[in-house]
Amino acid sequence: MNDNRRQILDMLAQGKLTAEEAERLIAALERGGLGATVMAESDKVKYLRVLVDTIDPMAGPTKVNVRVPMQLLRAGVRLTGVIPASAREEVNNALRKEGIPFDINNLTPQNLEELVEQLRELTVDVNNENTKVRVFCE
Amino acid sequence: MRGEILPPLTATLHVKPKGWRFGIRLWLPLFLLWLLLLPLVVLALPFLFVAAVVFGVRFWSSIRAALGLLAAFHGTKVEVENSNTRVFVKVN
Repeated sequence: MNDNRRQILDMLAQGKLTAEEAERLIAALERGGLGATVMAESDKVKYLRVLVDTIDPMAGPTKVNVRVPMQLLRAGVRLTGVIPASAREEVNNALRKEGIPFDINNLTPQNLEELVEQLRELTVDVNNENTKVRVFCE
Repeated sequence: MRGEILPPLTATLHVKPKGWRFGIRLWLPLFLLWLLLLPLVVLALPFLFVAAVVFGVRFWSSIRAALGLLAAFHGTKVEVENSNTRVFVKVN
């Protein structure tokens, strides 16, 4: 099952599509005429880039260029999927104690894909006298 | 499937200290490392299975997730350059 088809079925399972709409999309996919409705594999956000350019008065200039695959994020989410339910509750309780109202049960591959897609537009630029930092997804 | 569970097979390492005309270029066959570790992993599997049963963790899902995490390092690139040294690491 390719990713586009899986995405359609996920949207059907979440109630974002009716059965008829899903059937039409899959039929269009098979005909090859789906266009931009379902994201092609090549359009997915693939890497997180971090660029740091700093000048230290003592040590001189330093440049750091890091490229991290987003697949690492996806794999990490899959790893959280094997955490037993009892341990998940403990993690959620610990997060709540720290004031973080986040439920790790919501961290699913489907939700992650939506988050990763939104990260496409994320750009962080930090500029000061000696340091420039740029974080973006590509 | 290959991209999901196959760990990185090679890595490239360049190190060029200041003043050196040519740096050190290494091609690292990570697949040999995996081959060396494979017998140890196979020996550890029964113990991991027992631990998974005891702690209520799905065994094969965990193995697949761990392999997926390792495989996700494909394409990682780190480059650091300062006035003394330039280091470049790429995981293939």
